[in-house]
Amino acid sequence: MIDIKNLHKSFGDHEVLKGIDLHINPQEVVVIIGPSGSGKSTLLRCMNLLEVPTSGSVVVDGMDLTGDADINKAREEIGMVFQRFNLFPHMTVLKNITLAPMKVRNISREEAEKTAQELLERVGLGDKADAYPPQLSGGQQQRVAIARALAMKPKVMLFDEPTSALDPEMVNEVLDVMKSLANDGMTMAVVTHEMGFAREVGDRLLFVDGGTIIEQGDPREVFENPKEERTKLFLSKVL
Amino acid sequence: MNLNVDLMINSLPLLIVGAGITIQITAISVGLGLIIGMFVGIARICNVKVLRALAAVYIDFLRGTPLLVQIFLIYFALPMVVGQRVDPFIAAITACGINSGAYIAEIFRAGIQAIDEGQMEAGRSLGMTWVQTMRYIIVPQAFKNIVPPLGNEFIALLKDSSLVSVIGFEELTRRGQLIIARTYGSLEIWITVALIYLVMTLTISRLVSYMEKRLATK
Repeated sequence: MIDIKNLHKSFGDHEVLKGIDLHINPQEVVVIIGPSGSGKSTLLRCMNLLEVPTSGSVVVDGMDLTGDADINKAREEIGMVFQRFNLFPHMTVLKNITLAPMKVRNISREEAEKTAQELLERVGLGDKADAYPPQLSGGQQQRVAIARALAMKPKVMLFDEPTSALDPEMVNEVLDVMKSLANDGMTMAVVTHEMGFAREVGDRLLFVDGGTIIEQGDPREVFENPKEERTKLFLSKVL
Repeated sequence: MNLNVDLMINSLPLLIVGAGITIQITAISVGLGLIIGMFVGIARICNVKVLRALAAVYIDFLRGTPLLVQIFLIYFALPMVVGQRVDPFIAAITACGINSGAYIAEIFRAGIQAIDEGQMEAGRSLGMTWVQTMRYIIVPQAFKNIVPPLGNEFIALLKDSSLVSVIGFEELTRRGQLIIARTYGSLEIWITVALIYLVMTLTISRLVSYMEKRLATK
């Protein structure tokens, strides 16, 4: 589903990604962990070209983002959830969710609203359609953001530290939604500091540091038996 | 000093009609400036280099030359190029509109740049184009930010519009001049004219702060 080859990304003189190779299979949930500044968020943002790679190739669902693919078309298939939600504050929750399907996929208002309502029920916010984002708690906003991304019926979902900006008591309501998505077979790439989620939901764990993938494998395996020194050091601090 | 109050009161009807015309050309000019300013302001920050450069030239030229000279350029110089007289009203709103467009462009640019860049990223990540994201997400939010500076621009232009009196366009200032030519009441008429401007600008600034409060609670 996602195929990344020899991906490099530099900001000025600073090389953030130093040659990443990564293949994500359909329905796979890949969890990416690593210290801050390791390049894990940049890697994720290269998967929908919010960051343009300096070199290397990123192919999603057969579309070569670094080649001749129409980036807007490609992004229709790649949902993204941000650390700081990025809901549109001037629109109701319902409009937040229906805007892109109506404008991009040309779906009728009626159908878009029906889908939006179903998605809101699914994330446990069926009664919040007419609220404005600033009236909601962080956890509620992030669940709306997930519903908004899902409304485009994407083939892949990218999560960029989706619980890092939340108060502790709201983390689980978001993780539960992500868990149910994973159970339904969504292909997911998740950058997170939630090690419990990584262990429980992840099919594969990626430890990134210094712009390269240091170690990867079955999450339980990596957590219990890290092979690399840097992985051991990192895990000893976060577990 | 003897203030002829009767003259002031008697001149009021004529001056108030002039004030109406001043408001009219200011409103039309700001409307025109708003349209120009929105596109120029967006062009100023878009990723097409040529558009960015053109917008910068537009803004620099119009903010770097006096409005009075711009009015002369349109009313006196332009007819020599196109070979046709320009109607004073058209010249007045064109000069003021194009001029305020440059200031409003900068207001717009600042208003857009004040929007969190996560908004653009969210729009683009949903598959919307840059133009769609601007139109549905960024610009509507920017409008809220720019109400106060836009109000200031309206007030500034309302005062600057007195400059179009030099091409004989009969707004408030020009009417004052004409009454003085008949009555020699410089003191009375200029005081009255100044007070009418003051009432207009104070009213507008109150209106703007009211709108600002209403938008803030929404």
